[in-house]
Amino acid sequence: MPAQVLPSESYAKNGVVKLTNCRVVRSDRLVEEDIWMSSQTGKILNGQREFFDSRTEPDETVDLGGRIVCPGFIETQLNGAFGFDFSVVPENLSDYSKGLAHVNNLLAKTGVTSYLPTVTSQPARVYQTVLPFLGPSGALRSPSIGAESLGAHCEGPFISPKRNGIHFLSNILDPASGISSLESCYGTDNLQASTTPIKVITLAPELPNAVPVIEELSARGIIPSIGHTDATYEEALAGINAGAKTVTHLFNAMRPLHHRNPGVFGLLGTAPSALAHSIDLGSDTPSAHHDPPAHETYTKPYFGIITDGIHVHPSVATLAYSFHPDGMIIVTDAMPFQTYPDGLYPAPYGSHIRKSGNVLTLEESSRPAGRLAGSSSSLIECVENFWNWVGPEVSLARVLATVTSTPAKMLGCYGAKGCLEPGADADVVVLKGGLERSGRKTLRVAEVWKFGARVHKGDV
Amino acid sequence: RVIIRQEPEAASKYIAEYVVDRIKSFAPRPGQPFVLGLPTGSSPVLVYRHLVRKHKAGEISFKNVVTFNMDEYVGLPPSHPSSYHSFMWEHLFSHVDISPSNVNLLNGMAEDLEEECERYEAKIREYGGIELFLGGIGPDGHIAFNEPGSSLQSRTRVKTLAYDTVLANKRFFGDDVSQVPNMALTVGVQTVMDAREVVIIIIGAHKALALQKCIEEGTNHMWTLSSLQLHPHPLIVVDEDATLELKVKTVKYFKSIETVAKSCGMGQKMPK
Ligand SMILES: [Zn+2]
Repeated sequence: MPAQVLPSESYAKNGVVKLTNCRVVRSDRLVEEDIWMSSQTGKILNGQREFFDSRTEPDETVDLGGRIVCPGFIETQLNGAFGFDFSVVPENLSDYSKGLAHVNNLLAKTGVTSYLPTVTSQPARVYQTVLPFLGPSGALRSPSIGAESLGAHCEGPFISPKRNGIHFLSNILDPASGISSLESCYGTDNLQASTTPIKVITLAPELPNAVPVIEELSARGIIPSIGHTDATYEEALAGINAGAKTVTHLFNAMRPLHHRNPGVFGLLGTAPSALAHSIDLGSDTPSAHHDPPAHETYTKPYFGIITDGIHVHPSVATLAYSFHPDGMIIVTDAMPFQTYPDGLYPAPYGSHIRKSGNVLTLEESSRPAGRLAGSSSSLIECVENFWNWVGPEVSLARVLATVTSTPAKMLGCYGAKGCLEPGADADVVVLKGGLERSGRKTLRVAEVWKFGARVHKGDV
Repeated sequence: RVIIRQEPEAASKYIAEYVVDRIKSFAPRPGQPFVLGLPTGSSPVLVYRHLVRKHKAGEISFKNVVTFNMDEYVGLPPSHPSSYHSFMWEHLFSHVDISPSNVNLLNGMAEDLEEECERYEAKIREYGGIELFLGGIGPDGHIAFNEPGSSLQSRTRVKTLAYDTVLANKRFFGDDVSQVPNMALTVGVQTVMDAREVVIIIIGAHKALALQKCIEEGTNHMWTLSSLQLHPHPLIVVDEDATLELKVKTVKYFKSIETVAKSCGMGQKMPK
């Protein structure tokens, strides 16, 4: 009788994976070390403890050939992707969950392992219909879901009609009755402190009652973000003092920077207490001396910025970064198409969208078959852009912080997300850096791991 | 045999290459592993760096290598950044393909420390002894924590550390003497000498006197490494700075030996 050969599955599996021969993003630099993680708990392990204390032999050792290991990307402003728009309610709601599942699946393969599905200014019924689908989805810790929602981002409708961008004017509202205006728009249930599916609300701080609304949202654990706003510097500052933590796509849909009133951009400057006696707007006479206000600690807000090279000039993006490097969050702000005339549009993630009437269809990608719409995501393209814009004094690790540790800190989930310390979720992007003949540095997604399981392996 | 190299880098590289050659010619396999004794300290860091480089270049696998470390502090958890567990993890084990079950370090947290030492010696015996013990020395010529005055026949045991050693180590504990453990578990001089081959790296002028005492003078328990004179296969690799206290004659002698051996195609291989 032949000796019985045990299939490898029958050996005790510990689910431990070791990524080796790689350079790991550690705060401001890349460090040659291994990453140990568990597909059972979905978390990063302390390799030394596993080795000495548990004498763990990893089930799988992955040789990454010197590639870069980075925490999974976090996208804080994505209006839709792959032909699916989070703000469009289909006739049949089951199509919404299908579309969402499709996006999650494909998005993860681009390196975005968590994100805020973003809904633009819509009528109340749209929010109330879609928000229950868009809440945090990480509780199951299931890699097969793909990209994980960290909660919805409601961009509007409490925004300035002067800075509506492509949002429908007819959808834009004033928070005239304070938080109850928001409740009747988003739905009371969707604004309950402990169960809200909403993570971030973009609003204009200069609107009537916006300041108390910002205070109330903060108290409920929803992050107020200043955006689509006509605010002066002072109005923006009032929003920050009320609890707004971040700015939505800095420079876009707000007053342009003026040297006598810098508007929202001024929030990245010196602490206002230091300026209290030196500015007096609207008057040519030197200001009277005021006592500095009671000592307030000023924290510069985080700010999203679209580094696609079109929305913001590279020089302005690097300028903003140099004012507040720890606050910058690169976003794609993938465009919604419903306001566009019929036609063919280049879409994020390498695809094309054909719009005819209310029907949006995803055109076949022209890239080689079997590759995910070019395999490089919009977010990584934006990161690559910015890496090329900054000088050599800004390390790649620092550039990557704009889509990892910084958004995680803004969202209050740093430690679980945005880093690769033991105990963090094992959301990992493996990157390959390169250099084109033109001198342009390139960055490609080679592999993506979600909760300790590989969900993508590309051909770079 | 004493090998002299101009720079610490070259001396370390020599040792790393030597160790790799020895492991390869041994051709270890499961059931017949290569048993390697390992040190901690500043001199071996460069050796480990070269070993890691060679591993990454695919020149050497540690799959069938079993290691025994020389020493560990008492009362320091393995995860403490200044433990020798952490040192070995940082400089070698985390970068190579060694199996965690093949790695042996003394457990300074053991409830019964003496039993732990006996267990360690027994485990070394179980593997049939150590094939090659790699070591460094302190400025006072001590090997592992076998400080001056240790018995040359000593085996693995608990040692109270000399105040000088505690002081020398305080830089690893935030320069706070009170944080430095004052006891350690260490292999004995005899444990090292029982290895079939002993390879010692000595780097820097501050170790020159120790080198001189250990090779130019008699066997003496005040310079514990001097016991190497009685070992059948010792190899000492030093940088130029470490030879400062040696007689010119001694340096010339060892350099000429290496040249002659090379010209005869013998190199410095251990005889089979
Ligand atoms: Zn917008």
